[in-house]
Amino acid sequence: MRTFLGGVIAALTMAATPVLADYPEREIQGIIQWGAGGSTDVVSRAVTPHAEEVLGQRVIMQNVTGGVGAIGLNQAERAAADGYTLLFGAENPLLYKVMGLGQKDYSDFIPINVLARGVPIIVTRPDAPFDTFPELIAYIEENPGELRFGSTGPGGLPSVVTAMINEKTPIDVTAVPYDGDGPALTALQGGAVDVMPAVLGAAIEAIRAGNLKPIAIFDEERVPQLPDTPAITETNPEFADLLPWGPFFGIFVKQGTPDDVVAKLTEAFQAGAQNPDFLALMDGRGFRMLSLSGAEAQDFLDTWQRQTAWILHDAEIAKNSPEEFGIERP
Amino acid sequence: MDILPNLLMPLTHLDLLALIAAGTFAGIYVGAIPGLSVTMAVSILISFTFSWDVYPALALMIGIYMGGVYGGSRTAILLNIPGAPSAIATALDGFPLAQKGRAGEAIGIVTVVSFIGGFIGIFALAGLAPVLSDFALRFQPRDFMLLAIMGILLVGSLSGGSLTKGVFAGALGIGIGAVGMDPLTVQDRFVFGLDELRGGISFVAVMIGMFGVSEALMQLHNVHTPAVRQKIDGIVPSWAKVRKHLPLGLQSSAIGTVVGALPGTGGDIASLMAYDQAKRVTRNPETPFGEGAVEGLVAPEAANNAAVGGAFIPMMTLGIPGDAVTAIMIGALFIHGLNPGPMLMIEQPNMFWFIVGSLALANCFMLLFGLTGIRLFVKVVELPRTILLPVILVLSIVGAYAINNSLTDVYWMLGFGVLGYFMRLYGYPLAPVILGVILSRLLDDNWRRAIISTREDFGAMLMGIFTSPLSLTLLLAVVMILVTNSPWWARWRGR
Amino acid sequence: MDPKPTRRPGELAFTIFLAAASLGLLWSAYGIAGFEALSSPGAVPMATTAIMVVSALVVLFETLRRPAGRIQTLRRDILPPAVIVTIAMIALYALLLRPLGFIPTSLLFLTAMIWFLSRRGLLFCLGVAFGTVLLIWLIFRMVFSVLMPPGIVPEGRIVAFLMSLF
Repeated sequence: MRTFLGGVIAALTMAATPVLADYPEREIQGIIQWGAGGSTDVVSRAVTPHAEEVLGQRVIMQNVTGGVGAIGLNQAERAAADGYTLLFGAENPLLYKVMGLGQKDYSDFIPINVLARGVPIIVTRPDAPFDTFPELIAYIEENPGELRFGSTGPGGLPSVVTAMINEKTPIDVTAVPYDGDGPALTALQGGAVDVMPAVLGAAIEAIRAGNLKPIAIFDEERVPQLPDTPAITETNPEFADLLPWGPFFGIFVKQGTPDDVVAKLTEAFQAGAQNPDFLALMDGRGFRMLSLSGAEAQDFLDTWQRQTAWILHDAEIAKNSPEEFGIERP
Repeated sequence: MDILPNLLMPLTHLDLLALIAAGTFAGIYVGAIPGLSVTMAVSILISFTFSWDVYPALALMIGIYMGGVYGGSRTAILLNIPGAPSAIATALDGFPLAQKGRAGEAIGIVTVVSFIGGFIGIFALAGLAPVLSDFALRFQPRDFMLLAIMGILLVGSLSGGSLTKGVFAGALGIGIGAVGMDPLTVQDRFVFGLDELRGGISFVAVMIGMFGVSEALMQLHNVHTPAVRQKIDGIVPSWAKVRKHLPLGLQSSAIGTVVGALPGTGGDIASLMAYDQAKRVTRNPETPFGEGAVEGLVAPEAANNAAVGGAFIPMMTLGIPGDAVTAIMIGALFIHGLNPGPMLMIEQPNMFWFIVGSLALANCFMLLFGLTGIRLFVKVVELPRTILLPVILVLSIVGAYAINNSLTDVYWMLGFGVLGYFMRLYGYPLAPVILGVILSRLLDDNWRRAIISTREDFGAMLMGIFTSPLSLTLLLAVVMILVTNSPWWARWRGR
Repeated sequence: MDPKPTRRPGELAFTIFLAAASLGLLWSAYGIAGFEALSSPGAVPMATTAIMVVSALVVLFETLRRPAGRIQTLRRDILPPAVIVTIAMIALYALLLRPLGFIPTSLLFLTAMIWFLSRRGLLFCLGVAFGTVLLIWLIFRMVFSVLMPPGIVPEGRIVAFLMSLF
């Protein structure tokens, strides 16, 4: 009991006079931008325990959802730049400015680790009258306005992929919006939509079971999980200049966090990202590991933002021109 | 195939047995405390059980889930604060019973029907999973829209005194549900330039405010009258009583299972629908609905526990979550190296039977723990209000804060508490507000999906409804509800 | 229709408030997308706020028809001092929660509220408050890892210390 009281008193006096102790000396708060059970949530919760081993402290994970992730991002931005608040996010914030969703994005943060990238895939129902991407385009041209594309709202992966397709061959389809790729893929299996550009990981199990038919991997090369599905550049090489493209996950801290803290976090999450269990999980869900940090991560983010912002701008989905925010055309 | 060893696995392994028991016990409290939700508890468990084997991790989560869904009824009955959205309907008749000193009896019957409902859901999962998931997949946006309209019509039976005031309250709820950035178009709605409103108003904050805070404010009027003495006999319901309510319980369980199996709808909507159904089919309740009818407890509680088994149906057969909790469990399976999807049942049927077995066991523990602690729980209501009310208020604030770690939710809770207080004073029913909030997205999103799918052609959408047997059935149900709620029907029945 | 033939104090003002607020919301809903399309994000909000306006006006009409009641008073039956004080206390609690922290604010709130309502000894109130806060803190902070605002209390360090004991 005496040691307990002593500890409490020591803790209280320590608070009064902040001393530079070795980071981290207490629990870290992790803010996940997306809801429990989603891809970002699963990936974040899977990598963190391995990083905790290096950090020697617990990371308390909380889902702060809403506003396409902007609520969580703003909350992490409001916290002190001391490394005790981490942001676990996906690609969306890079589009906030052009989509008119907020004034803050990852430029207010330092990337600790850009973990992995998702591979887009175009899927349809097994009974659909087309098997390849050229057949799909031909079908749309013969039956304009008939096909319904699953969507997850402007700025989501399906809208970007559809915009990319439109840039090469204008297609007349109806985009039906859903809350996320999970519900949209469910609707695809139920016949409420006909085609869906989705992230591979979300569709893979339904494809394996034969409930969905893969049309093309929307990437430069095939994926080991579906060796028989062609990459889109095999049939339509014109897409090569837009690829590779895909959603990603990353861990961020607020701009202004001390360098030694950033270094410690980078080390911890680099180690976490190399854990074999985590790698197996990412492989099973069809993600391409990146594990980028430092300047490499920043480059990746800048390139991604330039490319996607301009595609959305050209497709007239974006509300603001990327130029307003100094985002150059790639 | 060796179903039995896997089915009985949780029973034969002492550690699994203990984990399910602990989970169920903890779940009852998680469910009972407003602001602590099963969703939250299960996502914390993902990190907590990270290094465990998948079986014990699932056992603990399943226990929490089963216990939590049931636990929401506790505070609904005792304090008129539903611990979880699925217990809203329970408060309507449960709290009046507690005010009459019959809280113990109410909790007793709720526990037994929750147990029955739970088992119906589990049986459906074990025996009908492929059929029901196939059925659930068939729901098109227009069907979800019709389902939402069916739900909205419940305003009629939740309104009590004035239907006009009920309609106002229901519309208010739908409006509250629309606040924030619309996820389908990223367009702001009712945001008034406030960043805090972008994420919408958490409907748990609305619920805690409207029920908890406004109730506490009402009770301040007579804070010094002594609390009602609670009877402590007749807690475990007699067989005759259970048998009397069994048909309604089974009917409600069927509603719960199906609504639970639909992706995107869960125990909250199921329990309200079952409540409405109970009101329609019960000819002569001993006590009128809204004043402590036992039928008004049986229906929602059987339905929401049946929805648990229901929610596992699309999860186990298709890898599609039936509700928020099963969505997190799918994530947990991924983290533990499994790939939930249509192949899971084919490649790892043992997992399926293990889950069925664990659910059944959790359901039994729920009955056991539910019936044993009642006397102690009931004593809570007998505390002097001068102490109980401040504690309830602090719990409400903490609960509202805990939903999303945001002070904004606390202000909303207070705001809706005050609004709810005045609405109570002037005879506006509050349950339709919550109903509106719950159904808002279901109605709005699916209306828009349905009309977008036909390219803004309303006629084509109607054609779609009339040519699909499922849609047509739902439409007929909507018409039936409208007709049976109309004054002409009552006159015709009266003849 | 209504069983009470008279209207309660403040009822008319409240009804007018609801009708006015509904009108404001209808205007706001119209501002979302106007009458652009059936599938616009403003379609359902406009429909529901229109229903709110109509039903609020009907209620207002019914309320106006009833004579004002004379038995009840605003001070005694609608807003007794205890209710006003409680609402103010909750607002104060929410204001102080972030700067002061969860533990001190809750202790203050509970002590003051229990004392205000029961007029028991201050020590008794403090005791009950302390016990409740400790219990809530243990459940929310330690078991469910809900991070309440720490404010002036160095919670992180206390938890780190408690953890180091085991």
